[in-house]
Amino acid sequence: MVNMDKILVVDRITKEFPGRTAVDEVSFEVAKGSIHGFLGPNGAGKSTTMRMIAGLMVPTAGTITLLGEPVVAEKLYHKNLIGLLPENPPLYPEMRVEAYLRFVARLHRVPKISEAVDKVLEALALTGVRHRLIGNLSKGYRQRVGLAQALVFDPPFLILDEPTNGLDPQTVVELREFIKKLADHKTILFSSHVLPEVEQLCDHITIIHHGRIRASGDLREIHRRFRQGLVLKVGLLEHETLPDLSVLGKYEVTHDHVVGHERRYGVVFEDDRDCRAELGRLIFDRGLHLLTIQIESPELEDIFLHATETKQ
Amino acid sequence: MILTILKKELDAYFSSPLAYVLIGLFSLITGVIFFNLLVSYTDGIQAIPPNLAQEKSFVEEVVLPLFTNINFLFLVFIPLITMKLFSEEKRQETIDLYWLAPVTETQVVLGKFLAALGLILAMLIITGVLPLVIWGVGIRDFSLLGTSYLAVLLNAGCYISLGLFCSSISGNQIVAALLAILGIMFLWMVSWGGHLNSNYAVAEIFVYVGITSHFERILRGLVGTQDLIYYGTFMLLLGFLTVKSLGRRNW
Repeated sequence: MVNMDKILVVDRITKEFPGRTAVDEVSFEVAKGSIHGFLGPNGAGKSTTMRMIAGLMVPTAGTITLLGEPVVAEKLYHKNLIGLLPENPPLYPEMRVEAYLRFVARLHRVPKISEAVDKVLEALALTGVRHRLIGNLSKGYRQRVGLAQALVFDPPFLILDEPTNGLDPQTVVELREFIKKLADHKTILFSSHVLPEVEQLCDHITIIHHGRIRASGDLREIHRRFRQGLVLKVGLLEHETLPDLSVLGKYEVTHDHVVGHERRYGVVFEDDRDCRAELGRLIFDRGLHLLTIQIESPELEDIFLHATETKQ
Repeated sequence: MILTILKKELDAYFSSPLAYVLIGLFSLITGVIFFNLLVSYTDGIQAIPPNLAQEKSFVEEVVLPLFTNINFLFLVFIPLITMKLFSEEKRQETIDLYWLAPVTETQVVLGKFLAALGLILAMLIITGVLPLVIWGVGIRDFSLLGTSYLAVLLNAGCYISLGLFCSSISGNQIVAALLAILGIMFLWMVSWGGHLNSNYAVAEIFVYVGITSHFERILRGLVGTQDLIYYGTFMLLLGFLTVKSLGRRNW
């Protein structure tokens, strides 16, 4: 029985090259209609995994299923299911933007080519450069044309390999907004180095390192998993000192520093229990002044670093 | 689909200066060769008594050497045409565009093969001016002209399929061109090797495997089934090897 909520199921895929294993028993799932973030340092195996999902490489072992069909099946390509924007967009510098998109649309047997090309040119604000040579365009525009080729045949599943890498901030914001809108009717597997971007766009993530999966699933769930105990930010007056809190459980002060007239402490309780009320009362009872008390959730960056530094 | 790829490749050829440079250079060199052959033919006629002049065939003296020289020119021109067809697509990763679409490797190879053949045709069309010149000066001996064109076209087909294969196995277009040049030279040398071998059976095999004997027979109007089978088999085999080396799931 195929679970159609999962548009993509990657099951223990391995890719071996002579002398090295690029991807090692990688498994994860992508839910239909989601933007799934794919994170990992350079050389982690992201692009290799994405190319295998797109059917451009064959896994040494394991299976990839897209909408219930194995990705290596020839008939998959006749359904135009996958749009891919690789790290280096596949562009012909000597072609003009419109001619290039028409060529890609023809390859995918799009029935109404002019309509499809006009639509994608407009959506990506490329109408003004439609007659220009691709080789003369800026990197931002070339990236848009790359994205346009992945969209011109309207595939339900998109693979975007670092689509905002190396672009100017304005183009990054525009592309991000565009990708967000795309998720209304498409499923997107999206890799990026920019962690805040992934946090903004994705509700599910997979972290890969040294070809192995370090974490995969719902972003909030991963946040919870990587939160080791309760991390609190506690602020007192500048001249006050944090009292002994061992009555509340085993704890550790990670740092303290002064911000303006406030001395801020980072406190980590081993126990995950929310003890803010008791802590507030304890501080009040000691005659101290509580200016701040706040649970700190770890940043995605911390999770990423934790996931990629440990379990080597 | 083949037409889509053919059109794209022809557009690519004619949107770069390379095609025009190649056509111009080819026309210039064939023009010079033709002129020299014509001069030596007319000089020859004038040097012998009029009753013997009729025995000097225009076809033998001008047409056949011209097309033999065109075949030699292909050694450089065709690898230059085919070298980037796959190697450049692999280098720029644009080859993935085909593999993500409902396109087969055979369609891609055929589209590119026909585009290269189209450019060769464009070059040969220029040589069509030469018979017109001859007609203009009153020579009416045009026998073997058709089979001469057929012979160079068949050779071009073989060289293109060889060049495409070399381009498919290399990510560097210079290497692809050099491999193709070596391959074409090998096809010639096998034939020459056959003529030098004293063992009859071995010599026959060498001569059959080499391209020259087939080319020369067709050039002289002797279009035999075994020659056509040779050309057909050669192009199909190289086409098959190219498809296999491109195989999207081979690596």
